[in-house]
Amino acid sequence: MGSRVEILNDDGYRSDGRRQFELRDITMDLSPRGTADGSAMITHGLTQVMVSVFGPREAKMRAQTLHDRAVLNVEVNIAPFSTGERRKRNRGDKRILELAASIKSTFEPVVQTALYPRSQIDIYVHVLQQDGGLLQASINAATLALVGAGIPLLDLVCAVTGGVHSTSPMLDLTTLEENDIPHLTVAVMPKTGNVTLVTMETRLHVDRFGDIFKLTCDAAQVIHQEMKRAAYARTRRLVDAMDVDSKSILLTGDNVDKDTAMNELE
Amino acid sequence: MSFVLPGELVPAQHVNLKLGPGLLQVSDVKNGSVMSTRAGELKHTANNREWWIEGNSRRYVPAPQESVIGVVIARSGEGWRVDIGSAHFASLDGLAFEGATKRSRPNLKVGSVLYARVSLAHKDMEPELECFDAQTRKAEGFGELKGGFLVRCSLQMSRMLLDQSHFLLPLLGARFPLEVAIGLNGRVWVSTKEPKYTIAVSRCIEAVDPDGGGMDERAAKKFLATLDI
Amino acid sequence: MPRPPSPSIPEREFLYASLKQSLRLDGRLPLEMREPTLTFGPDLGWVDCAMGRTRVLASVDGKMVKPTPERPLEGVITIHSEISPMASSDYETGRASDEEVVLTRMLDKVLRRSDTVDKESLCVQAGQRVWHLRLTIHCLADAGNLLDCACLAGIVALKHYRRPEVEVEGEDVTIHHPSERAPIPLAMHHTPYCFTFAYFPDTTTQAVLDPTSLEQRLSAGLLSIALNAQRELCVVQKAGGVPLAPDEVMRIINVAVGKAKELDRIVEKRLQEDWSTRNVEVR
Repeated sequence: MGSRVEILNDDGYRSDGRRQFELRDITMDLSPRGTADGSAMITHGLTQVMVSVFGPREAKMRAQTLHDRAVLNVEVNIAPFSTGERRKRNRGDKRILELAASIKSTFEPVVQTALYPRSQIDIYVHVLQQDGGLLQASINAATLALVGAGIPLLDLVCAVTGGVHSTSPMLDLTTLEENDIPHLTVAVMPKTGNVTLVTMETRLHVDRFGDIFKLTCDAAQVIHQEMKRAAYARTRRLVDAMDVDSKSILLTGDNVDKDTAMNELE
Repeated sequence: MSFVLPGELVPAQHVNLKLGPGLLQVSDVKNGSVMSTRAGELKHTANNREWWIEGNSRRYVPAPQESVIGVVIARSGEGWRVDIGSAHFASLDGLAFEGATKRSRPNLKVGSVLYARVSLAHKDMEPELECFDAQTRKAEGFGELKGGFLVRCSLQMSRMLLDQSHFLLPLLGARFPLEVAIGLNGRVWVSTKEPKYTIAVSRCIEAVDPDGGGMDERAAKKFLATLDI
Repeated sequence: MPRPPSPSIPEREFLYASLKQSLRLDGRLPLEMREPTLTFGPDLGWVDCAMGRTRVLASVDGKMVKPTPERPLEGVITIHSEISPMASSDYETGRASDEEVVLTRMLDKVLRRSDTVDKESLCVQAGQRVWHLRLTIHCLADAGNLLDCACLAGIVALKHYRRPEVEVEGEDVTIHHPSERAPIPLAMHHTPYCFTFAYFPDTTTQAVLDPTSLEQRLSAGLLSIALNAQRELCVVQKAGGVPLAPDEVMRIINVAVGKAKELDRIVEKRLQEDWSTRNVEVR
């Protein structure tokens, strides 16, 4: 694995000028798109993913319904222009199927599917740009889209990638870094701190894994704050737009301010 | 005792001959008119009237009046669809229970296990089950099996267990109290006080099953002694 | 008949109750795996791996090809795996099921992407000729935990395989038949083993290693860990399922570390035994 780029230089900066534990710029947009019941667009640096959620609705294929809960259906579409090299991946690609299967099983215990027997919830993931952390961005965007669609969740799911460069752990990797160093993706339910998804696919010593694993779990809490902020901000705008009872607006407004203020203190 | 393979001629002759599973009457054969279609042991009754082949398989083919253990798959209209391990699901009418009326039907959930009798088995029709004796309208032990555990075995094993002279159930029964329902479709429902007893029953059935361990009485006794019960 | 019938209520309740008492239906301890039985075929790199009733057959064969222009110095390894309805009636033909995707991807990650085989050692002539290794995984029967069995079969097949010796003289390449010169084993960096743990909806129930098919069907999440005896993790895969506390994940990983060492000893012993029975004739 001879790399031409220095992953972490002696002064502790990464190739894109970040520090070891610094996350990339995150933007979250919850505004509705088209006819979707909930949709979200998220960017982690240059990675951009859009998710639309439809449902719960009647299943297209009756045979696939379950009599006691809703079925989650996840489809992932990676735009051919999302990478530097233009490349069309067909839908049968094992990598894409695996990505979809991971997203599906991440949300299955979180979404309260038992409330909607014999129905289906569709999650369509569109990857518009990729620069590392594809799974992370997809999961985060799907969480926000589900929130936007008003589907009952037990908790938010926040995902972060982390890697280890020789012995120094780092967070939120770009494609360049992912190609060079062992990395893992962790999805955390921030309320309990429990982990729903862990994937790692490069050789790494058990002790190193422990370090980076703990670190990513902490970093997920930061993403959680960002998600909360985005969801509050969106709700506030909706409330403003409805222009109803001014008292309740004030109340929610206060809450948001307090909340964000507290978060900033943390 | 003689073993036959498919296609062999069987010396079955009687004025009032009755052929059981695995035997076929053929007309274009010179000497003898009965052919085997399955591999197994050729058996007949003492008076040579009824002949059949005793083989082993895992796939159940329903036959009328046989007791089976089924799992409820879905509700359908007035009854249920039940998986009895055959090629098709069987149907069980909501009124085929002791004391069932249009108003009060037994409450079976999807996934419930029941002990029932095949009331209709025809190659062109779905098998039908009943949970009572059609004449007396009494349950006669049929109905839902609550609790316990379902052990799966080969069809021959379930027939062996039904044989009163078979050693396994008395052997187990001497060690701890147990309740068993044996379905001819290769399913045995077991209920004991403690999970460890049920596990012991399940492992013994697996060990004695000719399709699994194939142990005889002595080996089974030894095996039972190694289990922590 | 849309799906295979799921386990009945008594089966489900009994399994949960007995697991609560740390009892398993086949008499194993929760963190005990079925002892794998490895049978080697007459050819090198032909392995039949059985864990209980789960059975997988793996075979490796190699041939010379021209390398890809992007990697002129590296050999090629391809893995073919398919789950047919032969393994279990739960699988359908045609459409790739989720299990198949997981299996294929996992085999790819464990055996190929974790650099088990030194690909550069498979190069014969830079940019001209390299070895192409084809690993075929046949899943013969699935009685639970097909994944671990397939990974084990794959890695043992690679360890068992020996490629013919090659001589390069200028532009000429001579492949020596195994009867002329002893074939040489592949250069392996490490040997990863995969372990799958099943979790149950009741979080007080302990996780079980190497689940049977009933346990797998009733589990609420699987955690697969691939690692070698040198305490290096290759793959950690927990795709959804019940959420786990981070400490629990670390605990299970430490359990897997011990199991990997045990399994490594078994595999090495079996390979040694097999090798000692083989007559290597060099004329």
